Amino acid sequence: MRIALRKFGKILISRPQGREAFAAIRPSLDLSEPAVEIDFDGIISLSPSWADEFFSALRNIYGERVKFLPSDNLSVAATLRVLRESEAASRNL
Amino acid sequence: MMQNRRKEKPLLGIGEAAAMLHVSIDTLRRWDRSGKLKAVRRSERGNRYYRREELELFLQNAFALARTWAQSGIPPQLPSHYYCEVHPRFQSRLEKMGLYMMQREKLPDVAPLIVAVAGEIGNNSFDHNLGSWPDVPGVFFGYDINKRIIVLADRGQGIRATLQRVRPDISTDTDALTIAFTEYVSGRAPERRGNGLKFVREVAETYGLGVELQSGNAVMRISNRRGGLESDIAPHYIRGTLAKITF
Repeated sequence: MRIALRKFGKILISRPQGREAFAAIRPSLDLSEPAVEIDFDGIISLSPSWADEFFSALRNIYGERVKFLPSDNLSVAATLRVLRESEAASRNL
Repeated sequence: MMQNRRKEKPLLGIGEAAAMLHVSIDTLRRWDRSGKLKAVRRSERGNRYYRREELELFLQNAFALARTWAQSGIPPQLPSHYYCEVHPRFQSRLEKMGLYMMQREKLPDVAPLIVAVAGEIGNNSFDHNLGSWPDVPGVFFGYDINKRIIVLADRGQGIRATLQRVRPDISTDTDALTIAFTEYVSGRAPERRGNGLKFVREVAETYGLGVELQSGNAVMRISNRRGGLESDIAPHYIRGTLAKITF
């Protein structure tokens, strides 16, 4: 299953909007999917607040089955890096 | 910005005003007569004086205006193109800025980062003050792509007050800013938060953006030099926050 983030907008920055995006997609999620691919094409900007809400909720359901497709967008790379660091920091608490 | 510690007069004479606006004194006299920029008071000898606030407004000097708005006991009325009272307005102006930056040559690669940084700083203002705005809600959001500067400000509770809710040991604004930029701690615990300013710092250091953020009497500057976080004491106290992004 592939989720195209551009369907949620071009500038994915706000935490409440990340929550809302997941709430919108939740009813259509098939829990038996072997993999969920995240497609970053077509967005202008992604930031940790939106991503944290959306991907954490997605991971709660799919765990390691969430896969990020490659992207040249620098904000995507920076956001995913910060989220990994944040997760590592909270595991160390 | 912080190098100029000279006390700034609220009223300027016509010569000083002309210098600030880079026009001639005759031009100012003409504008006063036509109403384009009126002098606010005259002495008995007929000298014209100008309020600094109005000159800055006229100059569209976003940073000076944001600073005045953020630090004044009674804030000036903001031009509507700078004021985002609620988050949706901020989001839509941020999108407009992002789309515009994507069309400019030399910007498309870093534009997503700049938008994300501005977004995180602006969103923090709304997230951390929702329901608790001390007086004027919302943010000041101004930018000049030609001058490569973005300015954000709020009249909220400030970073120290926000973090003290979960870290009561924080006693200074400098400590609060340092923790905000270096530790993953949330001002809205137990919610998962606290990523935004770490992201801002990493992006600024990695891609050479200049970021300056003041809250209280502390200013934090991030540059792409090694060990890029510098703290300083601000000349004027700001209860909320004031940020400048340069690129």
